[in-house]
Amino acid sequence: MELTKNITLGVYLPGETYIHNLDPRTKIIAAAILITLLLFIKSYLAYAIFLFLIIAILVIATIPPGYAFSGLKPMLPILVLMWLFQLFLYSTPDAEVIVSWWIFSATDAGLHMGNLISMRVLFLFTVTTILTLTTSIVSLTDGLESLLNPLKKIGLPSQELVMTMIIALRFVLILAEELDKIIKAQMARGVAFDRGNFIQKTKSLFPVFLPLFINAFKRAEELIVAMEARSYTGGKGRTKMKTLHMGRVDLFAGLFILLFSALIIYVILIVPPVI
Amino acid sequence: MPIEINKLSYSYKKGTPFEKQVLKDISLFIRDGEFVGIIGPTQAGKTTLAQHFNALLIPGKGSVVVNAMNTADKKADLVKLRHNVGYVFQNPDYQLFAPTVGEDIAFGPRNQNLPTEEIEDRVAEAMDQVGLDYDTFYKRDIFALSGGQKRRAAIAGVLACKPQIMILDDVTAGLDPGGREEIIKVIQKLHTEKEITTIYISNSMDEVAMLADRIIVLDQGQVLFDDQTRDVFLHARKLIEIGLELPEVMSITTRLAEAGFDLPGAVLSIEEAVDAIAANLQQGQVKD
Repeated sequence: MELTKNITLGVYLPGETYIHNLDPRTKIIAAAILITLLLFIKSYLAYAIFLFLIIAILVIATIPPGYAFSGLKPMLPILVLMWLFQLFLYSTPDAEVIVSWWIFSATDAGLHMGNLISMRVLFLFTVTTILTLTTSIVSLTDGLESLLNPLKKIGLPSQELVMTMIIALRFVLILAEELDKIIKAQMARGVAFDRGNFIQKTKSLFPVFLPLFINAFKRAEELIVAMEARSYTGGKGRTKMKTLHMGRVDLFAGLFILLFSALIIYVILIVPPVI
Repeated sequence: MPIEINKLSYSYKKGTPFEKQVLKDISLFIRDGEFVGIIGPTQAGKTTLAQHFNALLIPGKGSVVVNAMNTADKKADLVKLRHNVGYVFQNPDYQLFAPTVGEDIAFGPRNQNLPTEEIEDRVAEAMDQVGLDYDTFYKRDIFALSGGQKRRAAIAGVLACKPQIMILDDVTAGLDPGGREEIIKVIQKLHTEKEITTIYISNSMDEVAMLADRIIVLDQGQVLFDDQTRDVFLHARKLIEIGLELPEVMSITTRLAEAGFDLPGAVLSIEEAVDAIAANLQQGQVKD
C-alpha cells in the first residue's frame, strides 16, 4: 500500500534537459498561456494538436509519459462521473438522442460536452504537472514572485502569496506520506476500510482523518516557529541568493509558444465547435 | 506463530522514475518466543521489512509466511493476522485519535467485534501491562499525556488486540532517559511474562544489546548479519563501517582492548565490563 506513488502534482523530477533549464518565468507564462487556450478549445482537432505538443514536451523533458499521467489515476472516478453527468444531463434543443433508459436519455450534445470537459480537465492537469515536474520548488517560487512583483505597487503581498502557495504544494506530499503511515497504524489495529456498509465505512475514516488533521495543525505550528526562528518577516526587504535571468533558449521557447497559440487560435476560429 | 521469509525483495514507487529497491533477497526465520533486534543505518529498510511481518506491505518478490499463512494469498484473512501480529509505530500521534485513553485502547478489540465486557477487560489489562493506572488514565484526554505516556498508550492500544507477536518500531526515539527506561521495562516484562515474540527495531545499540537475544543487521536492504547478539557485536569494525555505533560499554572496552587489556570481543553490559576489567587489573597483565 503506497499512497504517494500516484501523486505527481508538486513533485519535482530532477533533470538537465532543455525544458528543465528554462527560466521558471518562461515556463509559468507558457503554462498560463496554454491553460488559457484550453479554456477556449471546443474541437477535437485542436485537442489533437494540443496532445502533440504535450507529448513533444514530455519527450524533450525525458519524463516517462506513463508517469506523467499516473497522477490522474486517483482522479479517474471523478472524471468518469463528470463525463456521465454531462452525457445524461446536458442537452440542446436540436440534439439527437443516442441512448435512452428509464428517465435518462443521452444526447449527442451531451456526449460531446462530456468529452470536451473531460479532456479539458485532463489537459489542465497535465500542463500543471509538467510545470512542477520540471521546475524545482525554489525556482518556481522565485519565478512566481518575480512575475507578481509589479503587483506590489497596488498593495498585493506577492512574496507572502507565493510562499503560501508553495507551502501548500509542498504539503500535498508531506500529508500524503503522513496519511500513509496513519492508515497503516490503524490497519495494524484491525481496521478493515473495505468492509461493512456505507455508514461503517465512513466511520472507519475517523481514526484516519482525526490524527491527520491534528498532525497537520501541529506541523503548521512547527513551520511557523521554524520560519520565525530564522527571522522571516514577510517579503519586505528580502533578497535573493540566485537571480533569475532569461537567455536565448527562453526567447526560442517563447516564440514557439506564441506560434503554437496562433495555430490553436486559427483552429478555434476555422473549425466549427462540436457543441 | 513463526514468521518465515523467503527471498523477499521490495521496491518503493514501483513503475515511477523514483523507483527504489529497498529490500533485496531477504530470507529469515523468526521462531516463537524470540526477542529479535533489527538494526541498521537509516534507509537500510528496517521498517519496510517489519511492515511485511503483518502484511501492511505485500512482497514484491519472494514470500512472507506467518503462521503457515502466505500474506500474498488473496484469500488470507489479513485483518485477523494483524491482530495476531501487533505493530507499534514510532510516532504515537499517528495512532491515537480517540478523545480519551480508554477509548483509544479499546479501538483494536472493538474492531474484532468483541462483547463490551471483554473489551473493557482487555483495556484494563493492557493499561495494567504498560503501567498506566486505570483510574487515573482511563478518562484522561489523549492530548494531556506526556511523550512517554503517549507511547505507553499506543503500546496498550496494540496489546489490547492480544497479539502473539509484537513489532516495536523505534518506540523509544525522542524520549527522555526516564521515559525510555519505563518503556523498556514494559517491553521486557511483556516478553518474559507473556512470552510474546518481540521484534524490536531500534537505533539505540545500547537497548538492542541489552534486550535482544538475536540481532538482524540490515544494510542497504540486505541482511548483513543474523546471529546471537553477542556474536553480532563481535563484528564491531564492520558495524562502525556501515554507520552504526557500538553500545556505550563496548566503545570503552574496545578502546581498552586496543590499549592492551585482555577483554572479550563483545561486552554487552556494564557488569560484564567491570568484571573483565577487574580481572585484568588483578592479574596485572596491563603494562603501564
